Amino acid sequence: MGRLHPSSGVGRKNGMTVQSDGRNVTVNKTRPIALTAGATGAFALLFAATPALADSHTNATLSVLHAVPETPVDVYANGERLIDDFEPGTLAGPLSLPAGAYDLALFPADAADGSGEPLLSAMGVELPAGANATVAAHLTEAGEPALTPFVNDTSEVAAGEGRLTVRHVAAAPAVDVRAGGEVIIDGLVNPNEESLTVPAGDVSADVVVAGTDTVAIGPADLTVAEGANTIVYAWGSADAGYELATQTVQAGASAPTGVPGGSAGLAADEGMPAPLVGLTVAGLAAAAFAGRKYATSRV
Amino acid sequence: MRSSVVVLVLGLALAIGTPVTWALTQPDEATGTTVAQAIDAPSPSAMAPSPSPTAAPSPSGAVPPSAPALDLPPVTTRDAAPTVAAPVAAPVRLSLPARGVDAPLDPVGVSADGQMELPEDVDRVGWYRFGPVPGADGSAVLAGHVDDREQGLGALAPLRSTEVGDVVVVTGANGVETRWQVVSRETITKQVLPLDTIFGRDGPPRLVMVTCGGPFIPELRSYRDNVVVVAEPLP
Repeated sequence: MGRLHPSSGVGRKNGMTVQSDGRNVTVNKTRPIALTAGATGAFALLFAATPALADSHTNATLSVLHAVPETPVDVYANGERLIDDFEPGTLAGPLSLPAGAYDLALFPADAADGSGEPLLSAMGVELPAGANATVAAHLTEAGEPALTPFVNDTSEVAAGEGRLTVRHVAAAPAVDVRAGGEVIIDGLVNPNEESLTVPAGDVSADVVVAGTDTVAIGPADLTVAEGANTIVYAWGSADAGYELATQTVQAGASAPTGVPGGSAGLAADEGMPAPLVGLTVAGLAAAAFAGRKYATSRV
Repeated sequence: MRSSVVVLVLGLALAIGTPVTWALTQPDEATGTTVAQAIDAPSPSAMAPSPSPTAAPSPSGAVPPSAPALDLPPVTTRDAAPTVAAPVAAPVRLSLPARGVDAPLDPVGVSADGQMELPEDVDRVGWYRFGPVPGADGSAVLAGHVDDREQGLGALAPLRSTEVGDVVVVTGANGVETRWQVVSRETITKQVLPLDTIFGRDGPPRLVMVTCGGPFIPELRSYRDNVVVVAEPLP
């Protein structure tokens, strides 16, 4: 199947050509910065994630999370403005886009449209048909801005359960994630993600410095929806503060395995009652007897 | 000789008539359309035609693969701060006046064995809380025990004798009643119960009532079949 990959890495643009209509910005040269481990993780996931919930065979679903503190941006896809004045801590989408490769670029929100140097860009992010992805603009552990594509797991979960995915996109070292005070994910580093399946319902989640009880974010109450992937982002920086952001992606809901319904047999469909069976047998016997008598009397 | 002919005819009439009459007086195994048709869930195969390379002819003029022609949809953005979903207002009462069914509803989920959870009390009926509320898109499932060894017959025992056209009334949490009309009743062996259809979350609003039926299998302490009744909303 297809793969989501910034083919030239997550890159910073060095040059571009603005076509005469002023809308089509073609980035023609990129200087890749180190491809983050998160993006690599996303590739691995892509192979596992089958586009089970494709509502169309020609479209892909894309969401964009803005998790760079204090920096409103405009988001461009293939040179067209996709999101205007995108505020930190907000989520755009889901968008249904034709499958294909996309050049994504983020410009400062106050810059003239489609001009100047982008803050961040990712070339050739491939969205295969049926894929469901979120691109996060965030800070690396060292505090550098980065764009990381994540594949949202939409595979089926058992009835009554929901998938909980946590993505570390904050300028911070390794963290543990706790739900109801219990560690459910440990040692998560930027920009990795981890997923688990839990009974659907409300949980109180917090993020602590890995291996300690030092709370970095939260606690925050959130709902893990049944039959869905609830994605939690830990984002921010020491200066701007740390926050949680959430996104819910429909996954394959399952039906229960059956419906029980009785243990006594009081309402059972019985066979024909014995007296009626007797009557039928008697009728058959009488007919057989008479038939034989009739046959012998003719001889 | 004539008497033996009369006895022959009478005997045959008795032998054939008795089981036929008995069978005709039994409630039908099914009435109305099939459950699957009544729920009218879009079948997965219809939803997903096999992709064909010719299905989407590209517009004239080569479009570079890295830059498909964009007709960007309007983008909605929202605050991504964590939220707790507002609790869904669960329905509170089910009644089928024509069959003498009038039972309180409890929101239920999934039990440890993966089956739908049912209220312990056979006089109560469970509403599957992970599916739609009655009236929302998809099929709202209400199920209850047909009987219990200690408690006797359950509230949904009369389900097996419902007929097409029977009116069903569901009372919502806010006291508002929704009215439904039975369009299908079917007795289906548990192993082949179309669970994905019965618990479908898409399609037009349907009310699906489920209990047990068919022969009782003492070794399993269970019935062989499920009785499934589907109702459509009444205007």
